[in-house]
Amino acid sequence: MNNEGKKQPGEKAPQRRLLMGLVLWPAFLAAGVGSIFFFAVVDPELLRDAGPRVFVGMNREEGYAIGFLFFWGIAAVASALSLFLTLRRGLGEQDLRGP
Amino acid sequence: MTALVQEKGAAPASFYAAAQKIYPRETRGRFANLRRGMVVALLGLYYGVAWLQWQGHQALLFDLPARKFHIFGLTLWPQDFFYMALLMIMAALSLFFATALAGRVWCGYACPQTVWTELFIWIEQWTEGDRSRRMKLDQSPWSVQKLLRKASKQSLWLLLAAYTGFTFVGYFTPIRELGGQILSLSLGSWSAFWIGLYSLATYGNAGFLREQVCKYMCPYARFQSVMFDSDSLVISYDQARGEPRGARRIGSSARAQGLGDCIDCTLCVQVCPTGIDIRHGLQYECIACAACVDACDGVMDRMGSPRGLIRYTTENALAGSPKPLARPRVAVYALILLAGASTLVYSLVTRTPLIMDVLRDRNALFREVHGDHIENAYVLKVINLDSVSHRYRLEAAGLEQLAIVAPSGVIELAPGSVSTLSARLQVPSDKAAGIHVIALSLIATDDARIAVHERTRFIGPHS
Repeated sequence: MNNEGKKQPGEKAPQRRLLMGLVLWPAFLAAGVGSIFFFAVVDPELLRDAGPRVFVGMNREEGYAIGFLFFWGIAAVASALSLFLTLRRGLGEQDLRGP
Repeated sequence: MTALVQEKGAAPASFYAAAQKIYPRETRGRFANLRRGMVVALLGLYYGVAWLQWQGHQALLFDLPARKFHIFGLTLWPQDFFYMALLMIMAALSLFFATALAGRVWCGYACPQTVWTELFIWIEQWTEGDRSRRMKLDQSPWSVQKLLRKASKQSLWLLLAAYTGFTFVGYFTPIRELGGQILSLSLGSWSAFWIGLYSLATYGNAGFLREQVCKYMCPYARFQSVMFDSDSLVISYDQARGEPRGARRIGSSARAQGLGDCIDCTLCVQVCPTGIDIRHGLQYECIACAACVDACDGVMDRMGSPRGLIRYTTENALAGSPKPLARPRVAVYALILLAGASTLVYSLVTRTPLIMDVLRDRNALFREVHGDHIENAYVLKVINLDSVSHRYRLEAAGLEQLAIVAPSGVIELAPGSVSTLSARLQVPSDKAAGIHVIALSLIATDDARIAVHERTRFIGPHS
């Protein structure tokens, strides 16, 4: 059950959810675009046949999924770093929101 | 009116709290009907088209396992990525165009976030009742009745989310096979993972996050301001007409009491799915769903005042100097859109479902054979992009007595397959001196329109 809605503003949970969204969501979008371009050129079967041994026995669907999750992970790291650097610079929520 | 006053009392000044749960009040009216129509039409398309068949295959299938896209009669291969890229650029441009012309119509009527949220709210209303009942239910202690209502809402949401995830994956792997796998419990783990992920996304976004997706997660909501100008349609409260706001009796003269047309009933705030007060002016949270327009029009009707205290209008029109909708920005977007669409249609119509790349052999410029002939070797990469297999013959032209030694006979290629062939061409030595530009042609034996011509060089010894 969603009890978070009843919490008063300023409490931790919604803010953590917001931060998670800020990291994962742009990364998801970027990973989608990255996967489309990458797999338009590279057939996952090529990775299986010519790539490192960890890909042995992989089929295309698994290849796409691993590729997408890989891009998502990398992009999420970038997102998280951006967020970390922005917040650590001492910018408050007010500054993020702009004038 | 008493109901309105009670409503106001039941919901104390909680309208602006950022993380508060929003209970959008249901609306009736022109724009609510339009949105309902759009929800039915768009979701009907989404859930329906997945099951359409076309010439023996799924009509719309982005078949990732087979690396080919079926779009009705058209089959696209990875080599046709150009069309997909163009299509995506066109989609983005259409969004810009619509935004410049009519503001956030996308957000209000067509965005999947809006459409699924609307559907989830219908379920919520059906299981938990209208706005005030939902608020009371959430505040009341747990009871059998509350448990039943909440449980039925959650089950319906989960079912719908699961089916949505299934349909989504069904656009990427054949949906009939996928359905069969689910029924026979033989679903692959990755398919299950994707269905689960998209079900979860639907459930979370449409059930819980709702307006927070628009407020915190949507990039378009943030950058749409660059597509706006003072002549874009926005939903706006007519401050000059509405203020000073205040309660009054039906039929009493507002002017005599020194009041504007706004009766301060806060219905426009209660219906707002993002929980803002439109009377504070244009805010980035506003998804232009026009629920407040419908609500206010209803109140104005009852008060005997003209509609449109909150309405679709432009900044310039509110300031008293309306401009026509067709302005340079709109014209430029329209022109780019038209150019893109023509390029897409033209290139699709003239698309040849065959690709041939010609590479000269890198080892030797030429070779002397039989003592009296010069031979050049090439590597041909041939891709059949058609949905049926073809036989092709190779032709060479551009040099006297140019003969094809290899490949001998026709080349047969299955749909979507790539073949790398070595080709050898020969010319009598006395004709071969110097560098010659020649043309290699690959022509389908059953359809002369499927042909590609590539220029390359034939190199002979210095004369």
